[in-house]
Amino acid sequence: MIRIAFAILSRCLEPGERDEVLDDVGREYATRRSRDGGIAARRWLWRQALGSVPGAFRRGWQRGSTGFVPESERLRGGGGVVEGWLLDARFALRGLRTRRQYTVLSVLTLALGLGGTTAVFGVARTLLLSPLPYGDEDGLVMFWHPYDWRESEFTLLRGGGWPGLEGVAAYWPEGAFMREPGRPARLVPGLVSSAELFDVLGARPLLGRTFAPGDDAVGAAPVAVLSWGLWQELGGRADVVGSVLTLNGVAREVVGVMPPGFWFPDPTVRLWMSTPMRADDNVGRYTLVGRLEPGATAAGMTEPLRRITERLSANFTYPAEWDKTRNASLTPLRDHLLGPVRPVVLATLAAMAVILLMACANVATLMLAQLRGRASELAVRVALGAGRRRLAQQLLVEAALLALVAGVVGAVAASAGFSVLVAALPLGVLGDVVAADYTLYAASLGLACIVTLLVGLAPVFSLWRGELRDTLATARTGGIGGRSGRLEDALVVGEVALAVLLAVGAAVLIRSVDNLRAIDDGIDAYGVAVIDVAMSGDVPPAVRLQRLRDLVEIVRTVPGVQAAATVDRLALRDRGGFWGLAIEDRPDMPMTTTAFRTITGDWFDVMGVPLRAGRVFDATDRADGEPVLVVDELFARTYFPGEDAIGRRVSHGGDPFRIIGVVGTVPAGGLTDERVPTRYVLNEQMGHTRETAVIVLRAGAAASADAVLQDAVRRIQTDAGDIAVRGVATMESVVTQALGPTHRIMQLMTMLGTLALALGAVGVYGVVTHYVHRRRRDWVIRMALGMKPLDAVRQVVGRGMILALAGCAIGSVAALAGTRVLASLLYDVRPGDPAALAAALAALLAAVLLAALVPALRAARVDPAHVLRDAP
Amino acid sequence: MSADAPLGTFEEQVLLGVARAGDDAFGMNVRRIIEHATGRDVAIGAVYATLDRLEAKQLVRSFRTTRDGRSRRMFRVTREGVGALHDSRAMRERLWQGVRFDGLPDES
Repeated sequence: MIRIAFAILSRCLEPGERDEVLDDVGREYATRRSRDGGIAARRWLWRQALGSVPGAFRRGWQRGSTGFVPESERLRGGGGVVEGWLLDARFALRGLRTRRQYTVLSVLTLALGLGGTTAVFGVARTLLLSPLPYGDEDGLVMFWHPYDWRESEFTLLRGGGWPGLEGVAAYWPEGAFMREPGRPARLVPGLVSSAELFDVLGARPLLGRTFAPGDDAVGAAPVAVLSWGLWQELGGRADVVGSVLTLNGVAREVVGVMPPGFWFPDPTVRLWMSTPMRADDNVGRYTLVGRLEPGATAAGMTEPLRRITERLSANFTYPAEWDKTRNASLTPLRDHLLGPVRPVVLATLAAMAVILLMACANVATLMLAQLRGRASELAVRVALGAGRRRLAQQLLVEAALLALVAGVVGAVAASAGFSVLVAALPLGVLGDVVAADYTLYAASLGLACIVTLLVGLAPVFSLWRGELRDTLATARTGGIGGRSGRLEDALVVGEVALAVLLAVGAAVLIRSVDNLRAIDDGIDAYGVAVIDVAMSGDVPPAVRLQRLRDLVEIVRTVPGVQAAATVDRLALRDRGGFWGLAIEDRPDMPMTTTAFRTITGDWFDVMGVPLRAGRVFDATDRADGEPVLVVDELFARTYFPGEDAIGRRVSHGGDPFRIIGVVGTVPAGGLTDERVPTRYVLNEQMGHTRETAVIVLRAGAAASADAVLQDAVRRIQTDAGDIAVRGVATMESVVTQALGPTHRIMQLMTMLGTLALALGAVGVYGVVTHYVHRRRRDWVIRMALGMKPLDAVRQVVGRGMILALAGCAIGSVAALAGTRVLASLLYDVRPGDPAALAAALAALLAAVLLAALVPALRAARVDPAHVLRDAP
Repeated sequence: MSADAPLGTFEEQVLLGVARAGDDAFGMNVRRIIEHATGRDVAIGAVYATLDRLEAKQLVRSFRTTRDGRSRRMFRVTREGVGALHDSRAMRERLWQGVRFDGLPDES
């Protein structure tokens, strides 16, 4: 123990005074031990050692930062630890200032990798690592068949208790129509749920209370809980609790406000409303979220789920495609909410990390080349007594300085470009919870430390292995150093391999998006604009129909609009809206459902849906006329195979409707989703319509969808003030969205893949340039002896290509395994697709060829006299 | 770091320690003098760090000499150091002038 104290003390003293002071302290220690006893003496010694540490740091910092040397120590060697590092930092700074090109190139290369990785890490941290805003999220699970549970099923199951679960809540998304003085009417995204919701989630309110048992009883007073954001918009007053808001025409008492940061089931939802749970309501629209009993897991719920499905099958009968009693399963809430974005974020993070690694390899290569360029300086330092360790320390300090500056530049770039990145990633509504904060800077600096090691390791390794000795030995003589540079070669091979990995990733995504684009969407989206509107829930159904008809007329008169129509749910975007199907003359047909869309006006014309047989709706089809129906080809093929569907009569529970026409099939949701048979009915003949609707309008040849959209919205807001505009889009953007996340991640990956190709090419360029520099005396002599310049070009390019081919071989193997992470984003293409691999390799080899050709041509044009005179 | 800046308490103690030690002003001895005079434990590393700072301010000068056959780093107060000590004392005495403790509790 005493030895340790002396060792600490020794590190705290400058070499010039170390021996004498340790000697003095030793004597004093001996005196104290004989005078005060061993324990007291040891305590004193430890106080001396530990008490000296802060002073030693202060002193090292002062000497290192000011260069101060006491008079008594001038011409003495050595120095303290802190002082040594600081002096190296000053020296490295001076060196970096003189080698500006190298410094700027290195900092920018590293900042690119650091900034990108930091920004993606910021996204990944929030979405994948941060806890969800619920208590003990591990116990939260989602039930199978989302958006399909009925109040009748829920009340039945709730009455009998939930086996294996502490509690279950039912919810479905419903916007709340809201009118405030001085603002256009708006639809606030909200949720209606059973009373258990917040208890199941384990969420506590900021103000007031959440739902209480009985809030969802039939006849109970309607209540609402506000999100923090909505509360702020409404004035942020504490007395909001107890106030009454009119939402969808219903007066609701505000009972609580949730804290900032709380969201469920997605961050756009700003309002939670109670709803009476009726045992006789049979509309399937709810999603169920439950909390497992402590210690239970979603996977271990087979037996409790069997009991639940048994109760369901005893009380309900289901059509085959909606049978809840089969394939019952629970999904952990985190997987349900964040599962879809996980592969996207992980793939982007991996790609950015690859870019960072490549940037590190590039800078390490640059540093190695610099090291050889500075051979004379290093030789002098070695001659003056600098050891390998000190030289290595200096290289590390230089790498640390580069990495730190790059870290700061990268962090600033990351926070500036963060929103751009979030917009470029297909995060959907989850993009709202992701925000840049101080952790970006911490992450960037943490990464910079790792980068320091990655960048500094190669030159330090080279130094340690003694490669430098050879360089030093040949530095002044200009000798033929054929063997050196292997480490650089290895780095570049690695870089090319990483570039191949990214390029193949981008190429398979491009192929996938090509395949998606080739899918027939069944419509002509060009020139079509989409406006989502909502009416208050208290507008009577008959009035709603009239308002929708008025709306179509209002929009139709906007200059540039050729035709307009409304639909309850937009094809290619809004799934749902399934109705039961019965066919006349087929009483024994099993119970089934098909998609069901109610439309007004010229919907088929506006959307460009082709007519295959019969006719579409026209002015003769009136509310009081014969009920008629248009079906799509899939419907006709599925239910009337080999027959003519026109003239057949089908019903959805009431009077039969006669089929008058067959149109092309349009996907209900995503382009890759399985197609569902669809029926189209006129709004007028249904007699009622939902509170929300979608207006579609086709712009004339002279106008664009974008241009007419703004005019149309303005016209709605002035001429139909009681109708809220929820959102606008062009149909083309809806189709792009229907391609799924692949399209957007493809754009990002293509950019990163191109960047990787560029970095790989720059790496090859650097190494080949350095190779040319090393071998130029060699060539000059051989050219003097008759070698043709073309042979020199061939040799240099060959060198670059050998490195590239080695990298391609390793990269191809890595890509076969690495692109599997993209598997869930691919459509009709395998992760290791040969065509994608070939395209990526061809692009990379072309880039490398170009990168090697530049120094090769320079080598061929070299002036022998110049080289021989100026060597090395 | 300006030589005109007033001395810190520990700087003043170390400077006085060097002055009192006279020809025996080496680090351990200065440490011992301060410890005896103040009754506080003083770490040797802190003394050397302060001596460095004082030397950078040119208030002390260090030199090497041989004592008992051993090379030692010794310190001496410079003219500027003497001036700084006088200034420090004069400033304190000015501050003490007119200080009365009537109505204030006794130190005990």
